[in-house]
Amino acid sequence: MSEIRTLIVDDSSVMRKIVERSLRQAGLDPMVVYEAGSGVEGLEVLRTKEVHLILSDINMPSMDGLEFLRQLRAQNLAPNVPVVMITTESSEEHVKQAILAGAQGYIRKPFTAEQVKERVLPLLNAA
Amino acid sequence: MLLYGVRKAAIATQRGGGKDEMERTMTLSLRKSVDQVADPKNLDASVDEVFQMMLGVNSQRSDEPLDVEPESVTAVVGFGGLLSGACVFKSGSSAAMKIAAHMTGMEFTEVDDTVKDGIGEICNMLAGAWKGKVPDLSANCGLSVPAVITGRDYNLHVQAPEFKLCHVYKFDDSSFEVTIICDGLQ
Repeated sequence: MSEIRTLIVDDSSVMRKIVERSLRQAGLDPMVVYEAGSGVEGLEVLRTKEVHLILSDINMPSMDGLEFLRQLRAQNLAPNVPVVMITTESSEEHVKQAILAGAQGYIRKPFTAEQVKERVLPLLNAA
Repeated sequence: MLLYGVRKAAIATQRGGGKDEMERTMTLSLRKSVDQVADPKNLDASVDEVFQMMLGVNSQRSDEPLDVEPESVTAVVGFGGLLSGACVFKSGSSAAMKIAAHMTGMEFTEVDDTVKDGIGEICNMLAGAWKGKVPDLSANCGLSVPAVITGRDYNLHVQAPEFKLCHVYKFDDSSFEVTIICDGLQ
C-alpha cells in the first residue's frame, strides 16, 4: 500500500488532529485523511471515497459510533475495511458492543501513539 | 439548567446500552462501594493519566486556589446511570490556551472554537478515566457530550450533592481545577 487512506470520525476536531498525528507517528505516512464530525458524515464520506482504515469515536451527537458501525455494515459500505473505535468508554460491555457491531479494534482515550501503533498496524497488515 | 441538560444527555447515552444492560443496572448498587467511588486518589490518577498521555506534561495537585484570571473556561460532562452528576473542568483562559496548544501543536491568542473543543475533550477524557477506576461505575454510567462555557464572573452552584471532589492542579506555570459532583448514587 503506497498511500494509506484513512477516515477519522469524531465530533471533536482537536481529537481528529490528535488521532491523525498519532497515526503518522505510528508510521502511516504518506497518508490521506478524510475527516467526519459524526456518523452521518462518516457514511457520506464512504459513499464517495475508498478507504483502507476507519477510526471512530463512540460518544457523538446525531449518530453515535456504534450506530455508524451498524449502518456501515448494513449498507455494505467499506466491507473489508478494519474499523477501530477510539473512545473514553472502556468497560468490557462497551468493548463487547463495539465488537458485536463489527469493530476490529478498540483504543481507550487517553492514548499514546505507541498504543495506536500496536492496535492499528496489525489490522492493516492483515487486511 | 446547564447541568440538567448535560445529565439528561448522559442518561440518554447510558440507556443506549440496551435492555440487558438496563436490567443489570437495576440490580447493581454502588452504595456499598461509595468510599471507592469517592476516593480522591482516583481523581488525581485520572488527571495525571490524561495530562501525561495527551499533553505530554506532568501535573501536580496543589493546595493553592485556582489562579484568578478575568476570563475563564469551564467544561462540563454529565454522568448518568448508577451515578448521576458531572465532571467539571475550570481554568483561566491563558491556561486553557496552553492546554489546547499542547494538544494541537498550535499557538492561540484567544479562546476560539479549537480551544473550547480541546478543553471539552480534556473534560470528556477526565470523566471517562475517573469512572474507569471503578469497574461497576465504568460499565453502568454513561457520559454526555461536553458542554463548554466561557465568560467572566460566574459560579457553578450545585445544591447538596451526595459528594463532591474539587482539586486544583498545576502544570508549567498555570493551574486548573477539576470537580466531580455526585448528586445521585444508586
